[in-house]
Amino acid sequence: MDKNKRILIVEDETAMLSALSDKFSGIGYTVFPAGDGEEGLKIAMKEKPDLVLLDVIMPKMDGITLLKKIREDVKWGDSVPIIMLTNLSDPENVSEAAKYKVYDFLVKTDWRLDDVVKLAEEKMRALDKKN
Amino acid sequence: MNFIFKLSDKILLTIFLFATGLIFSVVFFVGGSVQQILILGELIYIFVFLTTFVISRSLSKRLRELTFEVEEMAAGNLSKRLRITSKDEIGQLANALNELLVRLQTGIAQDVFKHREIAQAKTDFVAIASHQLRTPLSIVKWYVDYLVSGDAGEVNAEQLKYLKEVYRSNERLIDLVNALLDVSRIDLGTFSIEPEPTDIIERITSALKKFLPDIKRKHINLEKEYDIVPVINLDPRLTKIVFENIISNAVKYTPEGGTIRLSAKKTQHQVLIKIADNGCGIPREQQPKIFTKLFRADNVKKIESVGTGLGLYIAKAVIEKSGGKIWFQSPSLDLLLDKNKKDDGLTIDQESKGTTFFITIPLEGMKKKPGTKKLTSLEN
Repeated sequence: MDKNKRILIVEDETAMLSALSDKFSGIGYTVFPAGDGEEGLKIAMKEKPDLVLLDVIMPKMDGITLLKKIREDVKWGDSVPIIMLTNLSDPENVSEAAKYKVYDFLVKTDWRLDDVVKLAEEKMRALDKKN
Repeated sequence: MNFIFKLSDKILLTIFLFATGLIFSVVFFVGGSVQQILILGELIYIFVFLTTFVISRSLSKRLRELTFEVEEMAAGNLSKRLRITSKDEIGQLANALNELLVRLQTGIAQDVFKHREIAQAKTDFVAIASHQLRTPLSIVKWYVDYLVSGDAGEVNAEQLKYLKEVYRSNERLIDLVNALLDVSRIDLGTFSIEPEPTDIIERITSALKKFLPDIKRKHINLEKEYDIVPVINLDPRLTKIVFENIISNAVKYTPEGGTIRLSAKKTQHQVLIKIADNGCGIPREQQPKIFTKLFRADNVKKIESVGTGLGLYIAKAVIEKSGGKIWFQSPSLDLLLDKNKKDDGLTIDQESKGTTFFITIPLEGMKKKPGTKKLTSLEN
């Protein structure tokens, strides 16, 4: 796996944000951590990363809104792989996310860190193949 | 004309007349002949008798009417009011009952309101529990994961052992939170059923996967007898949760070297799934309670301290909501007979009575049930 990939992680829970960031940067990826939706949007538009990990419930701007805004970007955001992370498996959010081509809606307590990494790498690889 | 005599007044009047009569008779006894006294006595007696008869008749008639009306209310017609036909004690009683009814009705209205409030509080709990409890649980999970993987520096064998204990306990908490969430979703009726063509055998296999390490560790002999069963419209997640909950018990409560037998077959209108074990069984006196929320039988508490007492409650709710049935038999005839055969008909080991769970799922499958929440317990 190409370790030059750049990953945006948007998560308001600091401990969780650093667990994810440390994991991915430990493997060798470049990580952009963002503590809320607005910050996430700013970094997303500036850096146009290869993958976005997105929390759902966040202050300032929630994950679903940020997802919509990213998808509005035709060149990059339209196709960037996005994985939603949540602690509320609310079918409404799941189906809303599916409208914006996000099918990975992970309940955090059900996922091991290593499996999140595996899924993320799989998504990035799939996009590479497509391009 | 409105003559108001209170009942007590009527009785007093009667007594007064009787007493007057008595005085007169005394006077006559002194001044009149014996015959006159007797006639007067009889007259008084007849008068008192008639008065009492009339009063008691009207009283019992009114009471009968009241009883009839109250019975009608008790049957549910709380908006009805008692007729007030007199201002005596009966009238007052009717009046008091009417007031009681007004209070009852307001009380019920308040109860309904309160009930709604409680339902709302439960919904809030689901949301709060999901988010507030799961967030720290996932933080612990991920950091322990992080440490165990060695990414944060080398971990020695002893540290690794402790970290794994932390991880295991945390997983238990996650399971408990998930199960509690499921229960509140079941109780509130907010969980959804999303049927799709589902292979039941595949669902059993998938549910079993989680327990394979334990089955191997305990040298449990796993037998499978699957007939070809048709693909049925079922919610695959819910189906798996049900199987996981039953298999989990079988694995936990079957001793080392024991047997678990899974079978599935198609009958005329349904698929019958049997999960049999020769484990500790369910004590007869506690059998009626085992599908009750939070209940754990005494004998299993001794074997395994881990357990929420929610698994069977959830399984039953899911199966019954989808038109199926779930029941059990303990001691289990399935494995007991085998055991007898093996032991050459020797006495049955009282400690290994075994249990068989039976689940039927109708061939027409589950009906779609829109809901706002999914069930999550034991999800992988």
